[in-house]
Amino acid sequence: MNFEWTDRDRELKAQVKRIFDERARKELDVLEDEGTEATIKAVTRRYLTLLAEAGYLTPGVGPQRREETLGLMAIQEELAQISGSLFLSVEVTARMFAGIVKGFGDPSRTGEVTERVQRGQAIGAVAVSEPSRPGFSGSMYTRARSDKGGYVVSGDKDFVTNGPIADYLAVFGRIEDKLAVFLVEPGDDGLSMSPRLKTLGYNGLAVCSLKLNEVLLPSDRVLGPFENDAALDFVRLTENFILCVASLGLMHRSIFSAKAHAARHEREGKSVIAHQEVRFKLAEMLTLLQSSQLLTYRAGWLYGNSDREAATVVHCAKVFTAEAAERVSGLALQIMAGQGYLWGNAVERCYREAKYAALAGTTSERARMSIADDLLARYR
Amino acid sequence: MDFALTEEQLMFKEQVLKFARKEIAPRVQEYELKGELDWESWRKLGEFGILGLHFPEELGGSGADVVTSVLAAEALGEAGVDGGLTLSYGAHTYLCADTIFSHGTEEQKRTYIPKLASGEWVGCMGLTEPGAGSDVASLRTKVEKKGDTWVLNGSKMFITNGAIADVAVIYAKTDPSAGHAGMSAFIVEKGTPGFSVSRSLKKMGVRTSPTSELIFDECVIPETNLLGQEGNGFLMAMRTVEWDRSTLLAPFLGAMSYLIQKCSKYALERVQFGKPIAHFQAVKHRLADIKIFLEAARSLVYRIAWCKDQGKPLNHLEAAVAKLFIGDWSLGPTNDAMLIMGGYGYCHEYDVERVFRDSRLAPIGGGTSDIQKILISRLM
Repeated sequence: MNFEWTDRDRELKAQVKRIFDERARKELDVLEDEGTEATIKAVTRRYLTLLAEAGYLTPGVGPQRREETLGLMAIQEELAQISGSLFLSVEVTARMFAGIVKGFGDPSRTGEVTERVQRGQAIGAVAVSEPSRPGFSGSMYTRARSDKGGYVVSGDKDFVTNGPIADYLAVFGRIEDKLAVFLVEPGDDGLSMSPRLKTLGYNGLAVCSLKLNEVLLPSDRVLGPFENDAALDFVRLTENFILCVASLGLMHRSIFSAKAHAARHEREGKSVIAHQEVRFKLAEMLTLLQSSQLLTYRAGWLYGNSDREAATVVHCAKVFTAEAAERVSGLALQIMAGQGYLWGNAVERCYREAKYAALAGTTSERARMSIADDLLARYR
Repeated sequence: MDFALTEEQLMFKEQVLKFARKEIAPRVQEYELKGELDWESWRKLGEFGILGLHFPEELGGSGADVVTSVLAAEALGEAGVDGGLTLSYGAHTYLCADTIFSHGTEEQKRTYIPKLASGEWVGCMGLTEPGAGSDVASLRTKVEKKGDTWVLNGSKMFITNGAIADVAVIYAKTDPSAGHAGMSAFIVEKGTPGFSVSRSLKKMGVRTSPTSELIFDECVIPETNLLGQEGNGFLMAMRTVEWDRSTLLAPFLGAMSYLIQKCSKYALERVQFGKPIAHFQAVKHRLADIKIFLEAARSLVYRIAWCKDQGKPLNHLEAAVAKLFIGDWSLGPTNDAMLIMGGYGYCHEYDVERVFRDSRLAPIGGGTSDIQKILISRLM
């Protein structure tokens, strides 16, 4: 047992922190509120390059490097504190997209894609969710059939993070009944994207829907078909981890802003931080952050060690951190009162962003069901 | 960072679990209803080595580390040992015996530790007073040096094991004008003239643990019964916080595992509307919430224990976070367990309402949740 980060973890954390000076933070603030597709793409590319140089993009990529998950969280949390949108965009590229390609692809076919992503030269997106289709009872209706020595893919995808700015999109679907991942590129015939979706929070992210209408892909751009759904399980688990850390970052930002405001804002001749009702809120916020941190780290450690309880504890972490982030951002807003309610304020942004973690990845409801199913199976 | 427990630690926890399920748990309900300490269980705890686990072998202990001690306390809760017995054990071993072990002279250690480690003698600690709880500096129990004796006057309130203790560690003011620096600790044995138990208190939970008011009326003790240095009492009391936030919180973790086990089995057996209630989402969500709390709380407690094992000074912020989290957030899961079991949960026979009542002490004993919030907000 050891509750301290290693020297290497600390060194990487410091390197990541150094990238984001005051000017960078201001630029990212503007991105969160006013980012267009073009500026989001340019800024994401620039920071991907800098993060690659700092060694951020390579740890924990793919299930084969699962033992790096906990150490990876040290640097992820550093980035998540700085900008929620940039963090999600980078992680979708580095851990979800690259994780699928590197973990489940044939290196002789997809090695170049992986290399470009890991050098910070390309943005990746992953398309899993689909709009509901009346009468369809399966889990995914995006399908491909073999044709002309390759595959022809058709289907719809919703909520594709990085979709509008991606160089590559990993689209999940089925070949007959077997899972496959299709590496689609913008400009492929038959691929169309919706306008960028407007969302409640994480406004510095570019998200869209996809329509694939008979997209012809050569077979070297198809991963699978696989004998099982391990690639899908991997991407869901990776997304859950990313959302846990996003919630940690959001809590850090909320606490920092609320504490700073409470220290400088005066009421009745003294700083509001001197009032017990404010101090007690801050104490609750920090308690939720620390319990969320340790639960997330432990989930990462269990996964890294292939512990049989990992999946359940990851779901525990996902539910707990998401709900803690909602609570913490709500308390921060209450502390900051009118100032916090103003548009563009860091806490107002956190408050809007917090909901995302509860409904993205495995929803809190589905995660609770999964936790309970695991517990009940032990006593059945 | 590494959350691994050693093979030895895991094996020992399993041994304690088996022992407690077989030797102690079967009598819990009988004694809980009577509101009496189960002396047979006490004797067995001593024989098994629990009561002196961390003391060196030459003093009757096993030389266990703090993490192992936490696991043992957790196992007791998981086996269904009531909060009263685990509280008596905690007050005896950590608040009394360990204070003598950590600050006593060689002679004091040789005199008391073997008897306390075996359970032959019972120990208690007296700090709280009718008019001084969290505000330790306002203690009114006084002690005066008269020749080669000390004379104690005052009273102590809410003293766990007070009525049954053979030896007590009592905090009193040697210099009432010196605030914290005027407090010292003394060893007082049962039967000392002027030392009496005023009344035993009836409580909502932890009912098998006797709680009493102690009276000191011109109580004369030998000069050699001063524990540690004169004026160091406050620091000695603070040292017990490490145990209070680790081994004394650990049974609450175990109690959550106990509730999960009981509720899972019940939900699988109880049929309503033609199917086991385990099939209903609302029941599953409650069960999941107990597990989520357990996992969020677990590492907070282990972290305090690990730091103590490493010889690191107590991080008061982390200690307060652990206490606040378990104190305030455990109320929901114990309530969830009662709701899963419905009317049966409300009946003593099913032992869930007992855990519900026992857990109410968590936000009160050993420093209330409000005190933890004051500490956290001051330190953050």
